[in-house]
This record gives sequence, structure tokens and C-alpha cells, in this order.
Amino acid sequence: MGDFFTASVLVATIASGVRLATPYLLAGLGETIGQKSGVLNLGVDGVMQLSAFFAYYTVLKTGNLWYGSLAAIGVGLVMGLIYAVITIEFEATQGISGIGIFILGLGLSDLLFRELVGTPKPIRRLPSVDIPLLSDIPKVGEALFQHNLLTYTAFVFVPLSVLLLSRTTFGLNVRAVGENPHAADSLGVSVERTRYAAILIGNAMAGLAGAALVLGLGIFQPNLTQGLGFIAVALVYFGSWRPAGVMAGALLYGMVNATVLQWKALNIIPVSGSVLANMAPAVITIVALAFLARRGSAPAALSQPFSRH
Amino acid sequence: MNQSKRPALKLLLALLAFVMVAAACGDSDTEGSGEDGALRIAIVAPSASDDLAFTQSMVDAVNALDRPFELEITDGTFVVEDAAAAIRGYAEDGVDIVIAHGTQYGGSLAEIAPDFPETTFVWGTSTDTQGLDNVFAYNPAADEGGYVNGVLAAGISESGVIGVVGPIEAGDAVTYIGGFEAGALASGASSVNITYTGSFGDVTLASEAAQAHLTNGVDVMTGTAQMVVGAVSVATANDIPWLATQADQTSLSPGLVVASQVYRWEVVLEEMLDLRADGTVGGQVFELTLENGGLVIEFNDGFDLPSEVRDAADAAIEGIKDGSIDTGF
Amino acid sequence: MSTESQKLVEMRGITKRYPGVVANEDVTFDVEYGEVHTLLGENGAGKSTLMKILFGLTPADEGEVLLRGEPISISSPADAIDARIGMVHQHFMLVQPLTVAENVALGLRSGRRPFTDLDVVSKRIHELSEAHGLAVDPSTEVWRLSVGERQRVEILKALYRDAELLVLDEPTAVLTPQEVDDLFVILRHMVDDGRGLIFISHKLHEVMSLSDRITVLRNGRVVGSTTPAESTRESLAEMMVGREVLLTPRKPVLAAGRPRLSIRDLSITGDRGAVSVDNLSVEVHAGEILGVAGVSGNGQRELAEAIAGLRPVDAGTIQIDGTDITRATTASRREAGLAYVPEERMRDGAIGEFTVSENLVLVNHGSSEFAKRGLFSHAAIRKHSEDKVNEYGVKTPTVDTPTSSLSGGNIQKVIMARELGVKPGILLACQPTRGVDIGSAEYIHRRLIEQRSEGAGTLLISEDLDEVLGLADRIAVMFEGRIVAIVDAADAKREAIGLMMAGVLDD
Repeated sequence: MGDFFTASVLVATIASGVRLATPYLLAGLGETIGQKSGVLNLGVDGVMQLSAFFAYYTVLKTGNLWYGSLAAIGVGLVMGLIYAVITIEFEATQGISGIGIFILGLGLSDLLFRELVGTPKPIRRLPSVDIPLLSDIPKVGEALFQHNLLTYTAFVFVPLSVLLLSRTTFGLNVRAVGENPHAADSLGVSVERTRYAAILIGNAMAGLAGAALVLGLGIFQPNLTQGLGFIAVALVYFGSWRPAGVMAGALLYGMVNATVLQWKALNIIPVSGSVLANMAPAVITIVALAFLARRGSAPAALSQPFSRH
Repeated sequence: MNQSKRPALKLLLALLAFVMVAAACGDSDTEGSGEDGALRIAIVAPSASDDLAFTQSMVDAVNALDRPFELEITDGTFVVEDAAAAIRGYAEDGVDIVIAHGTQYGGSLAEIAPDFPETTFVWGTSTDTQGLDNVFAYNPAADEGGYVNGVLAAGISESGVIGVVGPIEAGDAVTYIGGFEAGALASGASSVNITYTGSFGDVTLASEAAQAHLTNGVDVMTGTAQMVVGAVSVATANDIPWLATQADQTSLSPGLVVASQVYRWEVVLEEMLDLRADGTVGGQVFELTLENGGLVIEFNDGFDLPSEVRDAADAAIEGIKDGSIDTGF
Repeated sequence: MSTESQKLVEMRGITKRYPGVVANEDVTFDVEYGEVHTLLGENGAGKSTLMKILFGLTPADEGEVLLRGEPISISSPADAIDARIGMVHQHFMLVQPLTVAENVALGLRSGRRPFTDLDVVSKRIHELSEAHGLAVDPSTEVWRLSVGERQRVEILKALYRDAELLVLDEPTAVLTPQEVDDLFVILRHMVDDGRGLIFISHKLHEVMSLSDRITVLRNGRVVGSTTPAESTRESLAEMMVGREVLLTPRKPVLAAGRPRLSIRDLSITGDRGAVSVDNLSVEVHAGEILGVAGVSGNGQRELAEAIAGLRPVDAGTIQIDGTDITRATTASRREAGLAYVPEERMRDGAIGEFTVSENLVLVNHGSSEFAKRGLFSHAAIRKHSEDKVNEYGVKTPTVDTPTSSLSGGNIQKVIMARELGVKPGILLACQPTRGVDIGSAEYIHRRLIEQRSEGAGTLLISEDLDEVLGLADRIAVMFEGRIVAIVDAADAKREAIGLMMAGVLDD
């Protein structure tokens, strides 16, 4: 245990936790915005899979990480548009439609990977960017300010999401539409337009989460996310629909995961205990958030299609 | 509200989903000669047929068989029930040899095999046939190549600390890693740190597990199962030599893969097919070893391996073949 | 009479058809500056449809709308707001977790786009509050407000948008009599400013007291226009229903009998964990209707559910004819003689997908009358159902029609027929005529009085004070989970009860 509490190991663990938290945070914030508008999207994982593939494939072909990230956002927007049409225009049940999007993303990314790539080939990974001054702070700088740009983006999105939701007219519309769409409609707020925008923003962020995942790894494999997107949806609930709550959940989940891996590497957790230890991230996150989270409630109109009659 | 629209839409979605899944998973290609009288072989396997690991090694092996055959593949069946359905489907369809390529399919086979006494089921990795007369079991002595890889790792390592990334503590991951640890420790390594991530598929965890090893002074790594591509990627980024198993992973990191333990399932498959031709449809267990050629160590010419380390590895191979080295299994 | 140009709004020849129904047929209706024009009609008469058309929530099939003399096309609420039309909906259009200022600001163009300018909005709300006597704190979340305050927010929303024409759809449904009086003062003040007001209601005494003009709709058509001076409550009711209606039920004088329902020291926890019924004791006697008056949310629902066996009791006892049923199953409560007409008739009273006939035998389908050796006797059930449908005048195509396709009044008749069919000793009736047309309500009231004459005890829980005053022998006023007073109906004064409902007691 003593080995763990050395500065270099703690720093590495925190850095690892921040990296692990990144895709959860991006996807969770996107889902938060969508759910705030009353739209449940269980398809996040599928959106991430497909965006991750396109980010990977674009970088494989062009070598340009920016193009890869943009491709991922583009895929997120297209998937979001499909989902918006299904749930807003056709008023389809959101739960099952989201599962449809998940299966579409999973299946299509798998298919395209086999057809276009076949065996995994490594690509460039997102380089670490040191934040001037901050990265020079001993220990803290190494743990928090030597990450790739998508990781910084994810954390910058936390206050931005708060600002968007609580201080802008768009955010006010989103919250109103998610709580009482008829009230918003009666004041001339377009429920459809607001939800379209929220879904597109949310899915673009899910796309970016896919990019963060695959460009952090430098390799793609079918079913890359391993259900990450579903955990991100769960974090929205446990985070009480607040960006800071989602961040707390993502960081906790990432940190516990990183700690478990570090302890395994140090033999603090013996091989014989690893099965039990593998459950720790999910269990600890759920328990902690269940107790600590301020009891926020779900948007009242969550997952209800809107129509005027 | 639009009640009438919804069933149709659900149906449409379900259909869409089905098409996607069918397109993705039911990637059943037929290869081989296809002429009359050719042997019909089917593979049911948990991961993708081009995973550069467990499943691909079997597909490559069947394709290397020295006789006419027709091959059908159902891959990506990590859900055992799906695999069971595929296995039964092939048997009903009159396929001669059904290869159930996954330890986890054993329970299903015990139910299915007795219903098709004429069909040969090939199952692995397993050290027994569950007493079924029409099941051949196969098992790679992964510890042998593991041991050789361990010798190589210890020879290259300067710190003496070596990192291992494994999936779940079961099957040939345990034998490979066990052999590796024995070989490395016997050749002067001071510490072999083993992390089982708990998942065969989670590339991110494998990547961070490798990262954690680096923090602790590891300068050579190995790993097994399909999620190790994440660990290989970290090794590549940090200039850490990598020892591969299950398939030749040189393409993932051309300058850093030292050697790969490769499974040549075709060696034991040939033996099974000969037995079947003579009227024995199953009931025996085959082991892939360095001695019988079922296991091969492929060295990567792109890695600058010191000659004394190569010599030590070759000596280990000979020692294992003649029985003078015990890998611990 | 005024000239064309003086009219604030005119709706001419409006027709709106829904599949199978004509909601509005050739309706012509206008409002002048500075008047309250009431739209009166039963549920389904077409009032709401007409207002939805005016507010752009649904398009008319035929007809035109003139605003300030000019033809105007209103195809969305945004158009209506731009045209300075405001609407206070029957079900408040408020977003509960948002503050008053946020609710008011919603949909408005902010002066600091893309950010909101809630401080500016709050300031203006203060000004409007003072000008119109609408006290409310802009920074409070709506869910913390009382019902009356919420209504003020709704009116503020319209005033903030400078509405000149204000539509109020059943605005008094959830208010105490005092709140209604306050509201009417505010509304009158607004009209004196020159605004026009459309008041939608079916409460006749309110219509009489507030309106300048009254237009009555029946079955989607205008049946006539009048003024309070030219009409009485009875004449208005007759216009609404199309026949003479007995508004005040006549009930024979009976001597109070033995106690049939005795509740002692009852305490119940509500849905949110707070005490909702607090140490309550009351008795209902044979041949008596005990009316429970109160603003909704003061424990009436929990009390009813506890008596019906749908909600656990923390402390105290409930007895029917001396038998303790505090913790009995619903079935044994029925055996003890309890019948229950629930408040949520479609949730607790009937199964929508079931046929009328199935709902009629829902509580006793296992009895020997309807089942032989575990199998339904369909002939007996059908005969029984047809008898009940005829007896209660349920308007349904057949007894095999799904209950959900019936009107509210007819569903209530089905429930009444079932519940009264077993000759109960105690009838628990909750909001028995809410959302029910006047004709059906009159019939249901008559049935309740017959029940009383036969010696049953009735506990009538109703938010309709007129109903309680008209039917009950004694009135128990409920406030914050307790019965704060029990008065003889003969001596009861509307205003006094209203004050008690608001928790004001003179010592």
C-alpha cells in the first residue's frame, strides 16, 4: 500500500482518472442537455461507436486529428438528426428508439470497420498539450494540466453547460420545454425547435466523446465503447441532471477505475482479488452518488413526446 | 396521440436494427473449393474473425488446411445463447465439423452434441471432452510460448520489472501468463506485475492498465486477449517492447513487437480430420505444443533483438521440447 | 350599441370539425373594449375549442377573426401574443421548478441575448404587481407558490406581454371563495383600464357576478346571448342544458340515525412524507350526508383513500357499523357495507379498456348471481348491465362499448350504478360531479339523496362548495389535515365557510 502513496503514483493515478473520465463527461453533459429538454436518448453508446469509427477512419486516411474530431461531431449531428426526426416528427417512444440508434451505431461501426479496415491498424493519438504556467505547478500540473485538448474541452464544457442552461434564453427554453412543454408552447416557444437543438448539441457531444475515446487510444476495435454510453446516461440520473453532478460522477468513476488498475499493477490487489475489484468502480460510484447527490428530480416531461392536442 | 403511427415505426426500427445486426454479425462467407464431396466446416467464435487474436487464429488455421473444404463462419457471438443457436443450426444443416471456438460454449455443446452423433464437434480451449464421443477438444499449451516470451522479456528488460495485461483470470490467459511469469523470473526479471482488467473487450481499460504499469517502472510488456490492442498502443507511444501471443501482432507495432506466440490449430485439426476419416468422430483431447508444431514463436525481424537474448529463447524452446524445462503447468 | 370599429375582437362564423364531432358550428362571438364577456357552456360545448382557435393552438375550418377591426390570421401562440392576446389556461401553464421571473421571461426576447435579463424582468414584474394588486415574489420558484399566487403569475405573464384581450379559462376552479373575490377585483380593475376579457366558466353565480355580457354555447353552437340583468341562474342553466334544470336539490327532512361510519383520531402520512391527515375524528350517521368542504390538498384525498383502504393509516381507527376496518382489505371493507366513488374516476373507479358491462360487475363478478362454478354467466351479466344502463340513463351505444369512449358524466353514472347497486351502508363519494355535465350532475345528486332516504350514511368530499351546500346535512370544513369546524348546513353561510377553508377561524 505504501507504494501507492508516493507522489508519482498518485499523480499518475489522478491523470489516468481524468483521462478515463473524459468520454463519460462529454457524453454525460450532452445527454444532460438533451434530457433537460425532455428527450431521453439511450442511443448515446451507438452514437459514440459510430463517431469513434469515423474519427478513427478519417485519421487513418488523412493523418489529421482535427479532421477526425470534426468527422466525429458530424456523425453525432447526423445521428442526432435521425433521432430527432424519429422522436419529434413521428413521436416515437424514446426508450425503444434510443435502443434502435444504439444498435444502428454498433452494427454500422462494426460493419464499416470490417469492410473498410479489417485488421486493426494503429493511428496517431491526440498529443498531450501542456497548459502554460499551470502545467509547471509541481505534481498538480502533471496530474491535471498535461492532457490532450479533448480532455480540456470536456472539462471546459462543464461551466459552459451550466451557463448555457441557467443563464441563456436558449437554456431557459430547454428547461421549460423539458418540464412543461405546453407552457412553453403557450408562450410562443417552439418545443420542436428547442428539442431539435438540444438533441443535436447532445449528440454532437456524444460524437466528440467517441472521438476523445478513439483518439486517446490510437486504435479502433468493434464495440469499442463496451457500454460506456449507457453508463454516461446513468451518470446523468445520478448527477441529478446537473453538469457538476455529472462531472463528479464521471471523475469518481474514472478515479476508482484508475486506482483499481494502479493497485493491480502494484499487486496491492492480488490477482485472486481482481474479480471483486472489477466491480468497485460501478458500485462505489452508484453508492456515493446515491448518498451525496442533491436530490434533483427528473425533468417532468422527460421521454414524453409533445403534441398540441 | 398518434397511436396508429407507432407500431409501424417500431416495426421499422426493429427491422432496421435487425438488418444492421445481421449485416454486422452474420458475416458468413463461404470460402474453399466448394466442390462436391468437400468437407463442410463451420466456426462459431466469440470475437471478430479479423481480431488479430483468438478468433482470427482459428480462421487462418482452417484456411491453411491441406484438403478441400467449405468454410462457414459465425463470429462475434459473445452471447453464449447466440452461439448455441448457431452451433445447432450448423449441425442441423449437415455441416461435418462444427468448431465451437470458445471455452464458454462447453455447456451448450453438452446439450447439442448428443443430438447429432454423426457430426464432429471441435471445442476449445478445453482439456477434456466432457465425456462426449463426438467432441474433439483442443488446448494450447500457451504456457510454453509464454515461457519463451518471458525469457525474451527478461533478456530485454533493463529495470527487471515487466508488465502483463490480461482479461479475466481464466482459460489460456492463465496458462500463458503463468508460463510467462515463470520464464521471466527464471531469466533474471525481478518482478512481473500482472493486471487482469476484467474484460476481454475493454480497450480503454487495457490502455490505462498499461499506463499504470509504466508508472511503476515497467520497460517490457505483454498481454493476451483481443483488448490488448489498447495496451500495445500505449507501449508503442512510450517505446516499450511488446511480446505478443495468440496471433502475430507485428502489424500493430512494427518496431516494438519482439516476438509472437502463434497458434497453429491446423496441426491438431489435421489429426482430428484424419481420425474422422478413419471413423472416429470424437472423444479425444489434443494439445498444441512447441513440440508438435501447434505453437510457433514468430520473431519480428523489425525488432533489433540482441543475439544472446535470441539464443536464450531458442534454448528455452529446445528445453521445453525435450522436457528439460518445466513451465510450471 | 357600438359600431364595428369599437370592437376589440370579433370571431365570425367559426366552424371546427374533429373526426366524428363538430366542435364549433358557425359561432359568432365578439368582445368590446372594457367589457367582460362570458362564454358559458357544458363540458364539450365548444368553449375551449373556440378559445384554442383564437389563441392559435388549432386552426378553424371556416370563419374569420377580426382584431381591432382588421382581419388577422393567428396560427400559433406566438402570433396571438404578438397580437396582444393573452390566455390564462384552466390547467396552469407554468413551469414548476422555474422562478416566477423565469416563467414570465419565457419566450420573450431578452435585451441581453443570448443571455437572459431576469433582473429587468423582475423589476417590471414589481411594477405590474403594484399597479394591479398582484403581489408575488419574482425570485420564488413556482412550486412553492399557493394556487392563488400561481394564478397571479399567469395573469402577470399576460400583462407583461401587454395583453389587451385576456382569456380566462375556468380560472376559479381551484380557488377558495376569498381568492375568487380577490381575483374578480383584479379582473374588474383590468377591464376598467380598457382591456377586454373573455371569462369561461360553468359556475353560475360567478358568471352572474362578473360578466357584462354572457354568450351560451351548446353542442358547438351559440344558443343565445344575454346579460346578468336579464337572466337568473336557472335561466342560464336551462340555456346550457336545453331543458329545465333543478339546481338546488330538494331533500326530505330526516332525523339523524345511528352512527354508521366512525373515524377516531386518524393520522395519515401523505405522498411527500408530510402529515396530511392530523388526528381527525368524525362520524357519519344513517340517513345523513356529511359534506367535507376544503381547498384541494388539505388531506381530503388521503382521508378518502384511507377509508377506501388504498392508503395505510399511521394511527387511529375507522369503523363501519361498529366493525373495525382500519386495516381491513378492500374486499372486507366492501363486505362491511362500504361503497366508493373515487375522485380519479378513470384511475381508481373504472377500467377504461373494459366494457361498460365489465365495469358494472367489477366488484361482484364472482358472486353467485354472475358466475356459476367459476365461469361467468354472460346472460345474467348482460341482463344486469342493460337494466343498470337503462335505470341510470347511461348514454352508451351498447353495454359492450369500451368505457373509456364514454363521456365523463356517463362514466360517472356507470360507477354510481355499480357502487349503489350493492345497497351500501356507507357511501364515500369524492368529487362526484366534477367534470360532469349539469344534466348528469342533477341526476347524480338525486341518487345521492335517494340513498340518504334509504338510511345509508354518505361522506361527500367535494371542492364544489355549491354542491356541498346543496346536498349536505352537516358540513365539515377541512384545513391542513384537520376538521376545523362542523356546521349545520341549514345555518351555513357561504362566506363563513370560505373563510374557514382558508384557515381563518373566528374565535
